[in-house]
Amino acid sequence: MSAIILNKVVKTYGAVQVVHGIDLEIEEGEFVVLLGPSGCGKTTTLRMVAGLEDVSGGELSIGGKIVNDVAPKDRGVAMVFQNYALYPHMTVRQNMEFALRPMKLGKTEVANRIAATAGILGLGDLLERRPAQLSGGQRQRVAMGRAMVRTPEVFLFDEPLSNLDAKLRTQVRWEIGKLHQRLGTTVLYVTHDQVEAMTLADKIVIMRDGHVEQVGTPEDVYAAPKSTFVATFIGSPSMNMIAARVISGCLQADALSVPIPERFADRVSEGQAVTLGVRPIEIKRVGADTPGAMKARVEVTEYLGNEALLDLRVGQHELVAEVPADQRAEPGETVHVCLNTTAVHLFDTESGLTLAE
Amino acid sequence: MAYIRKRNRRIFGMFLLPAILVLFLTTIYPMIYAGYLSFRSYDLAKIFVPRVFVGGANYREILSSSEFLHSLIVTFKLMAMTLSVQLVLGVGIALLVVQKLPGMPLARTLLMIPMMISPVIVGLVWLFLYFPEIGYLNYFLSFAGVGSIPWIASTNWALWAIAIADIWQWTPFVMMGTAAALQSLSPEPYEAAMIDGNSRWDIFTRVTLPQLKPVLVSLMFLRAIDAFKIYDIIFVLTKGGPGDSTEVLSMFIYRQSFTFWRMGVGAAASFVSLIIIVVLITLFFKSLNRDQAA
Amino acid sequence: MNVSRTLSLAAALATGLTGAAWAEKEYEGVELKMLAIGDTSVTRLAPIVDEFTELTGAKVQIDMFPYPGLIDKIVIEASANNPSYQLMWVDSPWVGVLGESGALEDLTDLVKRDAEEIHLDDIIPIQLQENTWQGRLLAFPASGMIWHINYRKDLFEHPEEQAAFNKRYGYDLAPAKTWDQFIDIAEFFTRKAGETLAGEVLAKDFYGNAQAYSRVAGAITHDFFPIMRSFGGQYWDPQTGLCAIDREPGLKAAEVMKELAAYNPPDYLGLMWDIRTGYMERGEVAQSGYWSVRTVRLTNPDEAVLPTIGEAGYAPSPTGDGNPADTMTGALSFAINSKASDREKEAAWEFIKWGTSRDMMRRFANEGSGVSQFHKSILSDSELQKKYPYYQVLLETQERAQRRIFHPFYADVEEVFGVELNKYMAGETESAQEALTKGCTKVNTRLKVFPEEMRLRWINDVPAEIFD
Ligand SMILES: Nc1ncnc2c1ncn2[C@@H]1O[C@H](COP(=O)(O)OP(=O)(O)O)[C@@H](O)[C@H]1O
Ligand SMILES: [Mg+2]
Repeated sequence: MSAIILNKVVKTYGAVQVVHGIDLEIEEGEFVVLLGPSGCGKTTTLRMVAGLEDVSGGELSIGGKIVNDVAPKDRGVAMVFQNYALYPHMTVRQNMEFALRPMKLGKTEVANRIAATAGILGLGDLLERRPAQLSGGQRQRVAMGRAMVRTPEVFLFDEPLSNLDAKLRTQVRWEIGKLHQRLGTTVLYVTHDQVEAMTLADKIVIMRDGHVEQVGTPEDVYAAPKSTFVATFIGSPSMNMIAARVISGCLQADALSVPIPERFADRVSEGQAVTLGVRPIEIKRVGADTPGAMKARVEVTEYLGNEALLDLRVGQHELVAEVPADQRAEPGETVHVCLNTTAVHLFDTESGLTLAE
Repeated sequence: MAYIRKRNRRIFGMFLLPAILVLFLTTIYPMIYAGYLSFRSYDLAKIFVPRVFVGGANYREILSSSEFLHSLIVTFKLMAMTLSVQLVLGVGIALLVVQKLPGMPLARTLLMIPMMISPVIVGLVWLFLYFPEIGYLNYFLSFAGVGSIPWIASTNWALWAIAIADIWQWTPFVMMGTAAALQSLSPEPYEAAMIDGNSRWDIFTRVTLPQLKPVLVSLMFLRAIDAFKIYDIIFVLTKGGPGDSTEVLSMFIYRQSFTFWRMGVGAAASFVSLIIIVVLITLFFKSLNRDQAA
Repeated sequence: MNVSRTLSLAAALATGLTGAAWAEKEYEGVELKMLAIGDTSVTRLAPIVDEFTELTGAKVQIDMFPYPGLIDKIVIEASANNPSYQLMWVDSPWVGVLGESGALEDLTDLVKRDAEEIHLDDIIPIQLQENTWQGRLLAFPASGMIWHINYRKDLFEHPEEQAAFNKRYGYDLAPAKTWDQFIDIAEFFTRKAGETLAGEVLAKDFYGNAQAYSRVAGAITHDFFPIMRSFGGQYWDPQTGLCAIDREPGLKAAEVMKELAAYNPPDYLGLMWDIRTGYMERGEVAQSGYWSVRTVRLTNPDEAVLPTIGEAGYAPSPTGDGNPADTMTGALSFAINSKASDREKEAAWEFIKWGTSRDMMRRFANEGSGVSQFHKSILSDSELQKKYPYYQVLLETQERAQRRIFHPFYADVEEVFGVELNKYMAGETESAQEALTKGCTKVNTRLKVFPEEMRLRWINDVPAEIFD
């Protein structure tokens, strides 16, 4: 049974529609990440699920029940906010107690739950502190603890890591992942950070301008992006996109000419404007005499340790290649590269949609 | 470098000089003079009464005077009446006006009007409202089936009449401060509480009030100091009567100084009340510090 | 334009005829300011001061203030070295404190000098005496007053009311001779809305009596002391110069007022002079004792409703035993600031003579504006008596009258007893004895600082030295 179902869910503020009919199913126990650039409607969608925003159109159900008009407290969800939303005047313990208050539990039950949660999150020593006396990471954990003690059916996270520094972010991200494995609770998680999405999600929902662009596992969205938007949004560095045209069995782009890969052969027509997508890792350095080798000028070299990023100029095109560090070249050097044509993506330029099956 | 800084400081001092002078002439000098007077017998009207040093006689008279004690009690009684109502009403109205409802910004502006009126005018406005035969208040009350109430002419009502006028004037002050504080509270904890299902009452008493506390304490403190000095409204409405039911400290001082013309006794009473205010302030800051330490 | 010129010409002629002939604009360039009350003793005169300028060249500006607080301004004015007011309105009780402080110019010699011009022998003597301190005349009466009773003549003469009263109390309804009768009448006429009064159903409550019970500016004492006097009471003990208000007559007066409170409007504790007289002026009360400076409004439909719905009657104050007793007088007067320049003083004296002259007073009477008169010839004028029936009462009662308080500590007395009496009326003090003793103790504490001989001088009413 699906834990959460969004059926053509719409959100309008006054005359402005910001979420345009989203369809989404979240299975029980699934970790689903809403991913998309800032302003695309992730938070709005999440808040509709939480009940903090009214649903303007469509249906929202949680646990098989339509909850469009159900109060937040009756939806069985708990939310972790971007700014933690802790009660500043209460200690960590009081924060959790207050979250439990509506459940009218016995004193010992409350104490047990807090102890258990504090144990899981390592908050044991912090229980008598106030938020102001905690670091960012600790506050984040308290916020999660406050959501956890209630043992909700669904956890909602809104960019929970965005206020943390890079190192802490990685750590807490890992903790969240572990927590989910341990608790198995359904999670709906909002972020604009693809790394978070890729590492945490069972299922990624890529959003753009209030629409769902693609839903899929991290592997799906990486390997088979449905659109140029997804293709460029997922993966770092971004996929190289080359505007081309189908001319006599080849993809022609200025100086660059690539034979049409087999699998696309009967999906394009002569003269069609297409976009060729190549992940930087699929651009290899080769010897000058390799068939299909292209001459490229190195503009910038970024050394990353194991590998290096080369900003290349091929004719009028700027491409990024990710090569083993020992194959790097100095800026100004001319090198030869080759595209791994079996791994290229092809999109219809006009619709931006993939030409793959 | 050091030279410039030194010069700057001197210029800075020159700019401050007029302000310091005005401050001295308008507050410090009169205070010193009042201090001097408080140890003397000084009758402004009966100049044939010897104007001499009398030691602590004025202070002894005040501290042993049942009228002074009575006026202190009335002052604190009035303070308790006005402050408690202003607190409850001010917070209540603030909670209302910060709602995003149509007309609230206008309501907020209108509600501030009483605060901007001079207390003497407030007194006069309420005088007209309170007049037993021709006052509007009794006129309106008569529709509610309430008989004519001798607001300012009854020892039972007069202090409330004063309190009501003061409450009318100063609730907006508490409302404004509280509204500002409410709006500075981050909305997220409220959303968290909403999701967690905390009741409105719990949210108000356990989330809102504790966060408002520092602001409310400051507002009440400012009101307490004002209430301690309340004068204009009483002067216009009751002048301390009927009986001595509204005889607050400032009326006691006024009567000593300008009815009996006993400036020395009046000055001594002013000083005693100053000391009480200073003690109040000290206690207030002590308690604030204690709060912060906790 | 024309009218006012004719009027001022008439006034000039009138004053000219009586012999006060000023040299052409003798006081050109002199500017006089007067610190005054906004009451009938001044309001009649204020609009026509230009006529004085016309005659003498001196400009006069009258600044009017409410009674409470006026003495504050005068005291501050008197202690200033460069006074901004040359003329001051003075309530007769103030002559002691202002006189002892030397704030007022001694008018004795001027009055003697101009005795004929001012018709000195036509002025009721007690009105002059009222303005003296230690035998010297420090102010000149602009309005003479006595405390007396105003009542609803139309109601008192209504046959049904008369019959009902007689049936209930066993004697005829008439202006009270004793305070017991006064209380009976007050009780009798106190009616609720819906009850009948003089054959008509009342739309609102009607009260038997209205007195000033307010403590503000000692208002209650202004009714209490005249009642105390009617019981034969005195302010001071003639042997010690200390407070004698807590004796038998004072206690009786306090009891009378306490009993009357039940028949007063519900706001009686806040009744100031003007609020109390307001009830009479609107015809909402059967009887009210007060000072004649306000009585004069009762015949004027512009100032009172009563003449249009009923008729005011006037009677002397009741007394303890019903036999005539001394009543209490007061004077509202004009005085000159002793710190004014000589030329200003001269001009100011001319102004006082002009503004208080018998002709001016007669003119006011003829114009229809009531003034509490103090010339015998005016008060006894039979034509005017018809128009102003209270003249008769003013004239007769002043034959047996004593001064109001004139002690330099008058303000202490009025304020202290104002509060103590008000507290007693409000039920905050158990007994009249307790209230009055408390008052006397407070006053005496302040007086005992001074030698007995000084205290005795302060209560000594030395006859005015203008009569020799
Ligand atoms: N209360 C609101 N009123 C009007 N527009 C809003 C409101 N909240 C959000 N929006 C708009 O809705 C869009 C989606 O916002 P949001 O869901 O916060 O984006 P995200 O969380 O993906 O960054 C944005 O264009 C934003 O400006
Ligand atoms: Mg967001």
